[in-house]
Amino acid sequence: MGTSRKSLAREQNATAYLFLLPWLIGFFCLTAGPMLGSLYLSLTKYNLLSPPTWLGLDNYVQIFTQDDTFSGSLMLTFKYVFISVPLRLAFALLVAVALNKGIRALGIYRTIYYIPSLLGGSVAIAIVWRQIFDGTGVVNKALSLFGIQGPSWISHPDYIVHTIVTLSVWQFGSAMVIFLAGLKQIPADLYEAAEVDGARKRNQFFSITLPMLSPVIFFNLIMSVIHSFQAFTPAFVIGDGRGGPLDATMFYTLYLYLKGFSFFDMGYASALAWIMLLIIGVLTAVIFVTSKYWVFYGDNKDGR
Amino acid sequence: MKKRMLVILLAALMLVATACSGGTGTGAPGTGGTNGGTGSTGENEGDNTSSEQVELRVMWWGDQKRADRTNQVLELFTKKYPNIKVMGEFAPATGYFDKLNTQLASGTAADIFFLGGNVVDYANKGVLLELDPYVGKELDLSDMDETMVKYGTLGGKLLHVSAGANARGIVVNTKLFEQAGIPVPQDGWNWDDYARISKELSGKLGKGVYGTYNFTVDGMDIALKQNGAQLYNMEEGKPGFQEADALKWFKYWESTTASGGVVTPELAVSNPPGDPSKSLIVTGKVAMSLIPSNQLAAHQSLTEDPLTMVQLPRGPKGTGVVFESSQGLSGYAKTKHPKEVAMLINFFINDSEAAKILGNDRGVPVTSKNRALLEGEASDVDKIVYDYTSRVSEATKTEPFSVSYNPPGFAEFSKLAETTVQEIGFGRKKVEQAVKDFYNGTLTIFESNQ
Repeated sequence: MGTSRKSLAREQNATAYLFLLPWLIGFFCLTAGPMLGSLYLSLTKYNLLSPPTWLGLDNYVQIFTQDDTFSGSLMLTFKYVFISVPLRLAFALLVAVALNKGIRALGIYRTIYYIPSLLGGSVAIAIVWRQIFDGTGVVNKALSLFGIQGPSWISHPDYIVHTIVTLSVWQFGSAMVIFLAGLKQIPADLYEAAEVDGARKRNQFFSITLPMLSPVIFFNLIMSVIHSFQAFTPAFVIGDGRGGPLDATMFYTLYLYLKGFSFFDMGYASALAWIMLLIIGVLTAVIFVTSKYWVFYGDNKDGR
Repeated sequence: MKKRMLVILLAALMLVATACSGGTGTGAPGTGGTNGGTGSTGENEGDNTSSEQVELRVMWWGDQKRADRTNQVLELFTKKYPNIKVMGEFAPATGYFDKLNTQLASGTAADIFFLGGNVVDYANKGVLLELDPYVGKELDLSDMDETMVKYGTLGGKLLHVSAGANARGIVVNTKLFEQAGIPVPQDGWNWDDYARISKELSGKLGKGVYGTYNFTVDGMDIALKQNGAQLYNMEEGKPGFQEADALKWFKYWESTTASGGVVTPELAVSNPPGDPSKSLIVTGKVAMSLIPSNQLAAHQSLTEDPLTMVQLPRGPKGTGVVFESSQGLSGYAKTKHPKEVAMLINFFINDSEAAKILGNDRGVPVTSKNRALLEGEASDVDKIVYDYTSRVSEATKTEPFSVSYNPPGFAEFSKLAETTVQEIGFGRKKVEQAVKDFYNGTLTIFESNQ
């Protein structure tokens, strides 16, 4: 049958859209509408209970010129992202490399290490974290065995963000599973050739593993950055739910939530949401643009 | 092949249509049941209670104990009025108002919900049901204290019915006083005494035990009243205090803290005084704090140490404390069954069985009949509370103070005040600078929430 190239392509498009349909429904019914709604609300004063009144750009002006909590929460969120993402990825890669040595019962280890990723976002785990890092919690009891008097990790503004970072790092499982799959894809003959040439393990890691894995790292990096920017539950539960102590848990999302639902200022909260969208968008774009300098696809399509 | 694809696509599209419209239909089922009810029981038409099948939702905040009591009362109500089905919902105090706000915004709030001193915020936004048409019919307020009725009347309309009255005071862990060899303080003391005793307690009880919690935020309105000012002037719609008034109060706590009599800020963060299950009063680490009288029983039930209540230290104008509504019920303006809402509120405050179950958990009953009933069978803790509240009532006869509604934008205001206390406590700002920022922030909040 001599079906022309064009109609084949069209049919393939239709099939593709059919498979995309569930996502498209979700996007148009659940995401696009509310997003446009919030764009409108961000230009109004809306206290949740009475109809919004038009303000124009006042919310944005106020955010950028008068709001110290905004800049504070933005700094805190950036700090959290820049500490937790590299740590989490490094940890995930380390464990993945260790697990990739062909040990027995890999499936069990993989599952065990993946579990925290499933649980990590839950309120229950955040509460457990609270108990562990409390002034009289397990961590400080362990430290006291060595004669160290640990601070109250969850109630001092200087330490609490680190408690939340450890919770994030602990959820390295999902990144690890992806790394593990990536490691399996690296052809063994590369290592064999390197060994024949007398390359040490360390050099093998930096000259073969990392470059070959860079597309996977790239993917994990983007996912982690976006995910970390949206961190809410740990800050809400481990802190006091109001950003305290001393705004040390006032993550951007939490500030947005408080403004909208506790302080009756949904217009302002919507403006905050749009600023966050732009920040995440710009950051993702930056990572994409720089990717051509460090992501290696191994198929010599660099100049693509 | 192409045809089949089209069919599948159409089927999928239909799914979309139904899925999207499904969301709007969910509000309806309640009304569907109503018609069925009228048809089946049309016999008692002369009855003043309608036989229509009605469903009400009630929402409150608090712990499990309060939830058990409240659910019991709701069950009792359903037994008495079989045609009204009542669904209870509750949330812990910290998340309650966020939940309520969200539901109000989406128009799905409960028919009846509890509010505290922040009732003003909700009254201003017009989401509360006007109850005046039902007074004297479904809602009997004849036995209720007049001041309480007045408390719920905002802008000339009855929007809120108090479910209990209390008075704030100093809770004292008497065992710690005994250990320190210091006599339990008596009414009529002043703030210098308070600072001195706190310091002595901390000194004598050793490391890790403190004289008092820091209640700069919870006690601020009282302190202002003691000096002839107030937090917010409702009549004129402006702040009722100056920066200097606030500075004086913050400075008092700064110096008391410096002397070592006050819980460290870290400890106060991990053991907030507002949560009895975490309070250091209960664990015997702090001897004094500020609590509403209805919370004494909740504290006492968690500790063996005998607790008692003393009036607040006096300022120039007195103690600044009044016997006032602790919380109460409001109807939702958009409720479909306003009459039944009034009936349930009536049941809550007037029914003697309900009063026995509820006890003093939300405060002393607001009707004199039920108050007499509970006083007759009071436990030891209740007796302390009654004794305390009657002392407060007595004091306000010679030194009257206005009741304290929360200022507009209360959630944001209290967050700001809390942050200010921590800024000073953790040494991030000098007290003068912190209070200056606090005062300016307060002005902004009051203004944007009017």
